[in-house]
Amino acid sequence: MKGFLRRLLMKLIAGLVMVWVVATFTFVLVHSLPGNPGDIEYDRLIMQGTPPEIAQAKAAVVAGFTSHEPLLQQYFGYLGQLLHGNLGVSISYSGVPVADVIASAAPWTVLPVLSGLVVSFIIGVAGGVIAAVKRSTRWGGLLTLSGSLMAGIPSFVLALLLAFLFHTLWQILPYGDTSDVTLTPGFNGPYIGSVITHAVLPVSTYALLTYGGWLLTMKSSVVSVLGDDFILAAELRGISPVTRMRYIARNAILPLFTVLAISVGYMFGGSVLIEDIFDYPGLGNLLLHSIGRRDYPLMGGAFLLITVAIILANILAELLYSVIDPRVRRA
Amino acid sequence: MTETIQQTDRPVDQPVEVSVSDLTVVYRTDLGELPAVSRASIDLVPGQITGLVGESGSGKSTLALAMLNAVPSPGRISSGSITVTGLGDVTKLAGRKLRHARGGTLGYVFQASQNSLNPLKTIGKQLLDLGRAHDVRDLRALVRRAAQLISEVGLDPDRVLDSYQHELSGGMRQRIGIVLALVLNARVLILDEPTTALDVLSQAAVLDIVRRVHRDSGLTTLIVTHDLGVVSEIADRLVVMYGGPNPEEGPATAVLHEPSHPYTRALIGAMARIVGDISAARVLPGRPPDLTTVPRQGCVFRDRCPLAMPVCAEEEPELVQWTPGRRRACHVEPTGVLS
Repeated sequence: MKGFLRRLLMKLIAGLVMVWVVATFTFVLVHSLPGNPGDIEYDRLIMQGTPPEIAQAKAAVVAGFTSHEPLLQQYFGYLGQLLHGNLGVSISYSGVPVADVIASAAPWTVLPVLSGLVVSFIIGVAGGVIAAVKRSTRWGGLLTLSGSLMAGIPSFVLALLLAFLFHTLWQILPYGDTSDVTLTPGFNGPYIGSVITHAVLPVSTYALLTYGGWLLTMKSSVVSVLGDDFILAAELRGISPVTRMRYIARNAILPLFTVLAISVGYMFGGSVLIEDIFDYPGLGNLLLHSIGRRDYPLMGGAFLLITVAIILANILAELLYSVIDPRVRRA
Repeated sequence: MTETIQQTDRPVDQPVEVSVSDLTVVYRTDLGELPAVSRASIDLVPGQITGLVGESGSGKSTLALAMLNAVPSPGRISSGSITVTGLGDVTKLAGRKLRHARGGTLGYVFQASQNSLNPLKTIGKQLLDLGRAHDVRDLRALVRRAAQLISEVGLDPDRVLDSYQHELSGGMRQRIGIVLALVLNARVLILDEPTTALDVLSQAAVLDIVRRVHRDSGLTTLIVTHDLGVVSEIADRLVVMYGGPNPEEGPATAVLHEPSHPYTRALIGAMARIVGDISAARVLPGRPPDLTTVPRQGCVFRDRCPLAMPVCAEEEPELVQWTPGRRRACHVEPTGVLS
């Protein structure tokens, strides 16, 4: 137990270092983007037909959010604020703290991404087991083929296809936003129902995107475990089929936990494209808008959140692995 | 009809615990069903250690697996029977009965190089799984019995039962394999290459343990190996296997000292000896027939046999008794091989 805690501590420290590296990298990246928020705002106002003097005055207000201090000083200021849990104030959402903007968008990414992941994990793993056990039959072959196909389709193609089929062509699923805007948000039937139907398309996209990966990984894992000597040995000792299946499942699912952690990161990254296509107001969409408007603090905050999510998922996966695999456990 | 002939061919003076008779195991391939074991007959006598020897690919392991009716797919037992005292014909068993026969009456020990234990569970937990699978009511008694066996094979029960496979050495794992095969009081112990991939000291220790538990528990033991050294050290009887029906069988010392079949003689001749010139070992030319090249007619060994005669290509030699307790299948007279 002491060793476990020490390892947890080491992992957390390593995670913090990683967060710092990413924060620095994000800072440099964001500030080396061409164009600054003031200019962007000025251009936008001019294009809307605002007279130059008024536009300049308004843009100056925006520019006030961005500092004119030397970059290094800004960097330390940014880190200092970060240590206090302060992500800064959003430019494009006129003065709302970045943390609040992110907090209001986060559930709309976290929930669909996680439910998509859970659905695809369950279906993919079950499919993988069947594909492995029945690999010499036609159904097994078809399952494997379905996995390869799904793993090969780019996310935006799949998202567009689903949107076209279920919204445009058959008109059975809603599109855009998280719920029907005419309903009052709260714990009531129509609103929750609307939230669920609005989430179906993004969630299915996430699920279908990762389904193939789970299926193929689980299949090869099960096939290799089936060939392991201890499975035959268990059979020759008269171990019951149910127990043998448990042996196989537990051994085969091990490598998938690593993949699970990595795919959490992929899903958050992938949410940028998918939320844009479904016009779903989650973190991905937020990030895209913040880049478009050169909203430095918001960009930094969104990047940081995704990074922290990935690092945490990895730490969690590693700890989980050491719990379920005695070979990784160290005294 | 063939049944009765087999019956009379047997050394009738001894009781038999396991009787493999006329067993053929085929594997389904693109070229049709090809035999891996063809009309093999072996009797295991209670209280004796029988050694089953042959080159790689001679079908020894397939035969050992067949004894538990566990020939892996795409293989299947196509004819013959395996009669075990108290179980009947194992090839006819299925489902729960077969499962209880495995481990319950027939204990199987894997090649030492193979990991026969679940890497994610402690030995103790796997022992309990084994007990539950065999409907053992008193699991505490099972653990006590296992602890006793573990000390008998020279290990510390408390430590071993709490260990995972990766915390044990190869020799230790092999001893656990023997313990798990015997913990449910199996009467028949089948060991498939039990010493392969162990260092010489572990080999000696494992053989010593096999000999001891065999004697103490009054087992019927079959030891499958390609190592004539192992057999000469431990086996009472020796059965030589080669593609078709066994070329030769008999008391181990007699067969090793006076091989009456050209194949046995070649196997012994191919052994490298610790004392003497290494070049005295003669390589057995050619290789054992695989599933596709095994001849359909005549003696299966004739292509590699230095004493082959025209009749060998036409007629398959019968396995017949030639001196008390010894049987051989060869057209050449025993004296012709011995000299």
